[in-house]
Amino acid sequence: MNLVTKTNKYYLIFFVFLFPLMVGADYFLIQYVVNKEVDDVLKHESERINFNLKENQVFPSSNYILNSIPVNEYFSVSDKYRDTLIYEAYADRLIPYRMYEFKALIDSQKMKITLKHVLLDMNELIVWLFVTTTLVILLLVTGLFFINQGIYRWAWKPFFENLSKLTNYDITKKNLVNLEPSNISEFEELNRIVTALMNQVKTDFQNLKEFNENISHEIQTPLAIIRNKMVLLLESQDLKEKELLWVQAVYQEANKLSKISKSLTLISRIENQEFTRLDSVDISVVIDNIIGNMEEMIQFKNLEIVVKLNPIKVKCDQVLANILFTNLIKNAVQHNFKGGHIEIFLNKEKFEIVNTGEVSEIETTQLFKRFQRGNKETESLGLGLAINQKICEMYGFQLDYDHYEGRHRLSLYFNS
Amino acid sequence: MKILVIEDNIELLKDIKNFLEEQGNVCEIATDYKSAFMKAVIFPYDILIVDITLPDGTGLDIIKEVKKENIDVGIIIISAKNAVGDKVNGLEIGADDYLTKPFYLAELNARIKALYRRKAYKGSKEVIFNEIKISPDNHEVFINDRLMTLTKKEFDIIHFFVANRNRLLTKEAIAEHLWGDHIEMADSFNFIYTHLANLRKKITKFGGKDYIKSIYSVGYKFSE
Repeated sequence: MNLVTKTNKYYLIFFVFLFPLMVGADYFLIQYVVNKEVDDVLKHESERINFNLKENQVFPSSNYILNSIPVNEYFSVSDKYRDTLIYEAYADRLIPYRMYEFKALIDSQKMKITLKHVLLDMNELIVWLFVTTTLVILLLVTGLFFINQGIYRWAWKPFFENLSKLTNYDITKKNLVNLEPSNISEFEELNRIVTALMNQVKTDFQNLKEFNENISHEIQTPLAIIRNKMVLLLESQDLKEKELLWVQAVYQEANKLSKISKSLTLISRIENQEFTRLDSVDISVVIDNIIGNMEEMIQFKNLEIVVKLNPIKVKCDQVLANILFTNLIKNAVQHNFKGGHIEIFLNKEKFEIVNTGEVSEIETTQLFKRFQRGNKETESLGLGLAINQKICEMYGFQLDYDHYEGRHRLSLYFNS
Repeated sequence: MKILVIEDNIELLKDIKNFLEEQGNVCEIATDYKSAFMKAVIFPYDILIVDITLPDGTGLDIIKEVKKENIDVGIIIISAKNAVGDKVNGLEIGADDYLTKPFYLAELNARIKALYRRKAYKGSKEVIFNEIKISPDNHEVFINDRLMTLTKKEFDIIHFFVANRNRLLTKEAIAEHLWGDHIEMADSFNFIYTHLANLRKKITKFGGKDYIKSIYSVGYKFSE
């Protein structure tokens, strides 16, 4: 839910609660004011009558008099207001009235005089109150809605522009994000903080990258020396069985380290966009060469291979294309049973390789991560698919994996 | 042949020098740009082994100078950088081959021999070891002058062995020679084992001696 919808939602909730409150409050307030007014009128009338009686000894005529009843000397008459209903013949129904009783002396006879004043029809009042309040609220809501919409469009414009810029931000790319300035201080503050944050992240990323590159670079020469010395040790021939195993283990681990380092360097170099060449690579030729190179391995594993290639040219780096397809085909050979199948298809849209093999328990998404191996027992490092993923990301290829009926299928779409 | 090795890491330099001298080469060394440049320009060598990163300069400049002086020498770059850009640059300015550190000395040796053969004999020279004769350009192997048909990988193996005779070749070095970098073949050792067995059988069938010896479980040696 975006900000403006959310704001409007809360406005609406607020008004829904406010509405009956307003109607109720209005009702009681108006009733109070009207009653007070009526009471004042009646009080005033009673005083006029009393005055006339005292000064002129005349009982004045009044429209308000309901009745005047002579009462006993001791009958107490309190000055009080009452609400009552009186039947009016013209309307054929009960009409609400306000009544006021007071005592007066007419010809030394004590009288209880009752005054009446018709009251407003409260039902009607409520209806009208409801209508007017609703109208006011509707006007307020629509007004606020449009103002909100306008503010959202106009004042938040730089915010949304910056948002889209930040969405497209890629730390591995060299270009920096220039945030739109704004005259709203909160947005300016946000821009300042985000810029500072980006610079910090960029610096950290750069440092980390350099560190990685230096490590994998500097490690190579010592590794070469370790390997050479180990071979010399193995060649010296006067090793005991136990020592031999140690030396062999060191040698193998040094080899593994070297391979890891080489693969990681390759990944980081792909990430650094160091492969900028765009050769027009004929993928079918690349695949033919790779299959040629592995032909004997395929025979050795007694694999049945079906290859259907349509020539297709793709703009990419020749070296990377070679690595990518070598990895894919090699995996199909490697993770296969003796006497298994491989099927390779290539057309304009996609490259597809299907092979028999043990179905691994790894989630598909995990498969492309570094050091993730389908089968822990093999000596593979689990970097092949991570490298492939990087290459595909770089050229916008899409690499999908699925398995069916004990077959692995990797599909590579060239233009996704 | 006479080889100049330019490398700033003394240990690695010693390893290379020892290995190449044991192969019967004359090997000189240089550890920095200045001395390397002096030697390369003044003395005649068959092969230069050049490390790109040197304390006081880059190996690429040495190659440029050598090429500018029109000195006829085979050049192999050894670099830890493994950058394709470097490789392309190096080969463009006139280097003949490129090896990424860490490399196997046997691989370096095989590359040096192949390069020397190409340069000195224009590729026509055959490699001969007792009754075995290898013609690298035609990918042919003769035993007692009888042509022996081999698969491509079998040829690569025997060629690699003969180039590195009397040295221990680890399985890893052989695998990398056969399939190159960036390929980790899970079954490669079994593959090598089987192909070596086939190769032995073929050679003995043609009346050759079995020169391939298994060294513990780590690798093989091709020797008398």
